[in-house]
Amino acid sequence: MEIIRNVARHKLRSFLTISGIVIGVLALTTMGAMAENFNALLNGGVAYFGQNVQVGPPDGQSAALLPLSKIDEIKAVDGVAAAFPSYGFQAKPGAPPSFSFGVPDSIVAGDPAENDWAGLKTTFASGHQIDAGSSGQVVLGSSISKEFGKKVGDSIDLPIRPVDARPDFVNHSFTVVGILNVTRTAPDNFAYINTADGQMLLKDSLPIAIRDQVDVSKITQSVDVYAKPGTSLAALDSIANRINSQVTGVKATKPSETVNAFKSGGAIFTAITTAAALLALIIGGLSVVNTMFMAVAERVREIGLKKAVGATTYNVMSEFLLEATLIGLVGGLIGYGIGAAITIIVNGTTPPGQSTLFLLTPALTIFAIGFATLLGAVAGVLPAWRAARLDPVIALRNE
Amino acid sequence: MQGIRLEGLTKHYKRGGEIIRALDGVTLDIEPGEFIAVVGRSGSGKTTMLDLLGLLLKPTAGKLFIDDVDTAQLGDRQRAQMRARKVGFVFQEYNLLSGLNVLENVMLPLRYVKNGKDGKQHAIELIDRVGLSDRLKHRPAELSGGQAQRVAIARSMVNRPSIILLDEPTGAVDTETAQQLVDLLKRLNREEHVTLVLVTHDTDIAGQATRQIRLKDGKVLTDEKVEELVPVA
Repeated sequence: MEIIRNVARHKLRSFLTISGIVIGVLALTTMGAMAENFNALLNGGVAYFGQNVQVGPPDGQSAALLPLSKIDEIKAVDGVAAAFPSYGFQAKPGAPPSFSFGVPDSIVAGDPAENDWAGLKTTFASGHQIDAGSSGQVVLGSSISKEFGKKVGDSIDLPIRPVDARPDFVNHSFTVVGILNVTRTAPDNFAYINTADGQMLLKDSLPIAIRDQVDVSKITQSVDVYAKPGTSLAALDSIANRINSQVTGVKATKPSETVNAFKSGGAIFTAITTAAALLALIIGGLSVVNTMFMAVAERVREIGLKKAVGATTYNVMSEFLLEATLIGLVGGLIGYGIGAAITIIVNGTTPPGQSTLFLLTPALTIFAIGFATLLGAVAGVLPAWRAARLDPVIALRNE
Repeated sequence: MQGIRLEGLTKHYKRGGEIIRALDGVTLDIEPGEFIAVVGRSGSGKTTMLDLLGLLLKPTAGKLFIDDVDTAQLGDRQRAQMRARKVGFVFQEYNLLSGLNVLENVMLPLRYVKNGKDGKQHAIELIDRVGLSDRLKHRPAELSGGQAQRVAIARSMVNRPSIILLDEPTGAVDTETAQQLVDLLKRLNREEHVTLVLVTHDTDIAGQATRQIRLKDGKVLTDEKVEELVPVA
């Protein structure tokens, strides 16, 4: 109680000091939540691309087209357990560019059986997987389903017709058979269709001059290659090397390169945002140091008295350290509370379909409040040490 | 042996190139329950002696025994513990903590001793004995000088010390209040059998002690028992 009263004794000073911590923790919470959100997105990429080998056209080929026959050649490579054709299209072609941390809405076509192999598992909030051999069915990610207000049983025209679409723009009606749970990464913005429908969209996307000359049933855009479950990243890299050396006309990308690119991107973003926030917080911590030194200077006689009635160096130091820690804790709680409120409000006002900007995680909560508290304690060490080392004889007669 | 023994107790300070002999080879025995007034001019060593007795200072030479314990052998933590358990302090300026009420001020020394849990009741009894039971929740700013000093006296006794050191305790109050405080101290001395060592410039107050020690230049000039002259009331 006395510690609380000591903090409250100089209300304006304590308010200003705590405000410094609040601003720092507020910055740390919002920046950290942004980094967490970005990292969740990248972690999805790491989980997905760290479990397969992406095979596309060789370097220098302008069109992302491969003969489906390549899949059989790839399957013959040592270590390959499965290979699936994959197609990807813009879900909203012609949409004006907008800044977003998320992945743009996309149509992904492939074999539903690939989900059994994929490193990033998706689960259904409602409905079910696309029926094998069916046509005209779609499974929507959580964000894209909200963006267009679709639920199981509804129909959706894909790709979405642009406002200024040309007369020859083609799209097709799909029936929504499943809605995925939130993953906070790419699948939230994906519309999954089967391979045959993907080939249909591929044909639509080809230039009119060659559209009728290409048999899209024998074409894929890329191939997702899987090894046995549990295969290491290094082993997948070796498989990519073998594909490149044994299969002509394709380019297999080493998954470690993709994963490292994701990780380094995340690390840089986290470092920049967290460093900026920590800087603000440390400046707040310096104000705690200043406040505690002032408190020691004002309470010299009190310290002398406490020593005279039996307080040890440890007792005096503990009291001042607790006071500084309390300032850090209160600042941390308030700063985190305001920061969390901001992230919730901003996320809540994000239009459906756009990726939210912030992700509050338990780890971030513990870090933000814990760091503020620790900073308060550390900031109090020097003033508390000075208080504890005061000579009681001099302190008692201090004017 | 219970009580306090000073053997050639010496405290020197260096000030520039000069050595100040604040206390210079003082040897004394203080029996339990004595009421001692320490008198002398400014700079005679009164306060230094009090600080040494209260273990706030370490002597330059000589020994100080409190209840047969050689205090020179104690570390800082043990000195603090002995200070908490065996010594009470009363200062001229009261030194009450403004943020605490009367009861909390009196209970302050209980924080620094183990088994101080039953101290609250004792603190309330002491406040009653110094006549402030109706001021338990008052803050120091709401007390008169005499009342504040009575709180300080109650605080000095809360850990049941064997000695209370009083540094000019009546220096900041009027004569009538000063006499009331001395009457209170004499009563506590008689009832609790606690040793009082009181530093004062006031000869009237010094005359009411059972023993007077006069210091000059850090040495004991006179050491007289005076109970024959001024019986304890």
